[in-house]
Amino acid sequence: MTVTTHVFNTMGTTASLRFAGPVPSDEVLLQVEDAFAEFDRRFSLYRADSELSRIATGELTLAHSSDAVRDCYRDAMMWSHRTAGVFTSHRPDGVLDLSGIVKAAAIAAAGTILDTFGMPSWVLNVGGDILTRGSINGSAWRIGITDPDARTSLLCALEVQNPRQAVATSGTAERGEHIWRAPATSDTLVRYRQVTVVADDIVTADVLATAILAGGPQWCDDILDRFDVDALTVDDHGGITASPGLREAASLILG
Amino acid sequence: MRARATILGALSSIAVFAVGWQLGADGQQSETTTSDTAAGSAPTSTVTPSADAGSSTATPAPTPSASASETTTSAVSGTFTGTSVHTRFGDVQVQITVQDGILSDVTALQLTDQDSRSVSISNRAAPILRQEVLSAQSANVHSVSGATYTSNAYLTSLQSALDQAGL
Amino acid sequence: MATDTAPLSRAATFRTDDTVARVRRVRTRRRMRAADLMVVAVWLSVAVAISLWLAYGGMNQVTDPASAITALGIVTGLVGTDLILVMLVLAARIPAIDRVFGQDRAMALHRRLGRPALSLILAHAALLTVGYAMSDGSNVVAETIGFLQSKDLLLAYLGFGLLVAVVVTSLVAVRRRFSYEAWHLIHLLSYLAVLVAVPHQLSAGGVLAEGTGQRVYWLALYVLAFGSIGVFRFLVPMIRSARHGIRVAGVEQVAPGVVSLHLTGRNLDRLHTAGGQYAIWRFWTGATWWHAHPISFSAVPTATTARITVRDLGRGSAAIGRVRPGARVSIEGPYGVFTDAHRVAPKLAVVAAGIGITPIRSLLEHSPLSPGEATVVLRGTDSTQSYLWSEIGALPSMRGNTVYTMLGARPPGLATWMSAEALSRGVTITSAFPDLLRSDLYVCGPQAWTDLVIRDARAAGLREAQIHVERFDW
Repeated sequence: MTVTTHVFNTMGTTASLRFAGPVPSDEVLLQVEDAFAEFDRRFSLYRADSELSRIATGELTLAHSSDAVRDCYRDAMMWSHRTAGVFTSHRPDGVLDLSGIVKAAAIAAAGTILDTFGMPSWVLNVGGDILTRGSINGSAWRIGITDPDARTSLLCALEVQNPRQAVATSGTAERGEHIWRAPATSDTLVRYRQVTVVADDIVTADVLATAILAGGPQWCDDILDRFDVDALTVDDHGGITASPGLREAASLILG
Repeated sequence: MRARATILGALSSIAVFAVGWQLGADGQQSETTTSDTAAGSAPTSTVTPSADAGSSTATPAPTPSASASETTTSAVSGTFTGTSVHTRFGDVQVQITVQDGILSDVTALQLTDQDSRSVSISNRAAPILRQEVLSAQSANVHSVSGATYTSNAYLTSLQSALDQAGL
Repeated sequence: MATDTAPLSRAATFRTDDTVARVRRVRTRRRMRAADLMVVAVWLSVAVAISLWLAYGGMNQVTDPASAITALGIVTGLVGTDLILVMLVLAARIPAIDRVFGQDRAMALHRRLGRPALSLILAHAALLTVGYAMSDGSNVVAETIGFLQSKDLLLAYLGFGLLVAVVVTSLVAVRRRFSYEAWHLIHLLSYLAVLVAVPHQLSAGGVLAEGTGQRVYWLALYVLAFGSIGVFRFLVPMIRSARHGIRVAGVEQVAPGVVSLHLTGRNLDRLHTAGGQYAIWRFWTGATWWHAHPISFSAVPTATTARITVRDLGRGSAAIGRVRPGARVSIEGPYGVFTDAHRVAPKLAVVAAGIGITPIRSLLEHSPLSPGEATVVLRGTDSTQSYLWSEIGALPSMRGNTVYTMLGARPPGLATWMSAEALSRGVTITSAFPDLLRSDLYVCGPQAWTDLVIRDARAAGLREAQIHVERFDW
């Protein structure tokens, strides 16, 4: 099987879409890119004309915004509730910032497009958040997790197995702290630098990775108890923890 | 139902409730004190000055989160038992082993069932030892997950190397 | 028709009326106190069950609707299980309970507790599923599936299913379709249901966590309940039967469809059977071993003999009449509160109809009666129902006391316990028993007829404590 990779810039980062097996036509790729562009147009706070920017300046009210924005807001609220506010969509200055959920939502939308066109095997990586389908040469897609201290090195690699097809990593390393952390409680002796969550869908993985990063070890335990996901964390001393599902994966591999 | 039995029954029931309530309240208090003790005796994290002489950074100050306990200059080793946490599967109490200030082992102490049950109920993350840092080629990965990078940063990233190799 | 016997001289009686009355008062008071304690114990067990959760700090965990529902789910489980254990204790045929309340009242309470116990367990399952679903943000189906993954909870669901099966088959409408033995077998599944639920009680949730006093208490309850059943329904009867070696000595046809079984054994007087009591008998022959029958003693046992009289009431009983001499017999009991020891009043009024004569005869045989103390009415539809009547008049204790017989059918269409002939003569319960309100009334006979006697007695103003009924149908 040939492997073809399509790379494009979107949402301030770069997306890599790699296929194993049938490759879609250019129209399909264009649709995928358009899906991202659409989300960016609506939600990017870096664009003055996006709906979210206009809501931030008060020019547009949330009640009068498009269905897409309100749906996204509703999802963000639901996730905020489910993580007891650790994941939050409001910046400290009160501005509505849905960037924590928008990228994942866009990835999910792209995935739906590819599924609709019957693409069986692909891995979509948008700025470090990954969604996969199918396998490559009969074996599972392998995803490496970056070492936060050395960005060209890996901590470990894991095999993506159905149904856990989404991998999202949250960290303080690259773009600085864009995670609005919940106030530190007295028992956050350990803080995370990077959290990777493996889940069935990319929005869950992304939100929970953010929540665990912001909330710390106590929240990691709570979230792993309540949600059916796996997580791998790196704390600011370089200590690594992994949930049972990842433990074998994370301790393996050379060659 | 005879009146005497009913009255006696009601009174003794109220007494029993009162005792139970009191025990419940007492239990709550003792748990809070235990948690303070556990937090206090856990190792402080950051203040060990490293041995390299070249470091001329300012004297390390304790991070805000460690200020609850007194600062020590030597790393702590030992075993500490945490509070009991009520889960629907029972009470879980955890014992941590610390080696030179670093968490090296976590054991679940108080589970109301056998070990096989603890595996099925606990999805929690436990520490794993860090292997040697891997290079992308030797790990044979297809994609890399990390904190989000900008388009510029992508150009010098591992992912771009993989993408180019894949094409 | 009255039968008078020559009165004994007063000097022959060895107890004065005052002494007897005083002894009766003391005994009654003691029994009442024991009854009160037992009732309080039941209430307390429920209160303690709730308190187990309070002591665990359950109140502190109620912080939002979801945790409130979960907490209620836990408490209903505790109380429901406690009631089930009480039901088991009631069905264990503990002699102390029998002496104070009688098995029939114990079983009546046992049956009454069935519905609330099952409702509480049902609520327990439902509330916990909903409560966890709410706090997890998922739905009840997902939660249930999650529960079913756990071995212990799977067993708990199984136990619940068994309980439902037991309760459904116990509903009167369903019960009639089964033979008693088949129904009883299904009912015994309740033991299994209760045991199967234990693992999840010990492993799920923190109220009964390991190392707590609560767990010790809870397990002690189970030991008490199952221990009582083991001891009083299995161990004691087995030992007793072995020790006394009871066998059938002879079978006597007393009347059409009625047989007296003469039994022999060792030290049967050590059974301390009081007149009027019954026991639960099992005859070890091929056809009859799996039926257990409650049959009254028709004569007070001597050291080596005993007699029980039973009516042909179906296939099982019919087979009793065909039991051959030499067959081994095992006994459970004796039980019953239809005895002289339960008397509270100075006079005695007795009414028996048909097979009801059986406990009456041994009661009268065993009672130390003074002349003029007792009035007995023997009721029968025709002469085929007059078995054992001749024995009554011949009893030493009946000297100086009156026995009336009332033969004949009742007036068609009229609900009365009396015969048409007696009714037409204007006989009433107060005319039959001259000092009724100062008497203990002992009644035994077919159920519907017995109810009519009691109705008349209550209408005449007789207190509940003075009415003693032997029912064969519990």
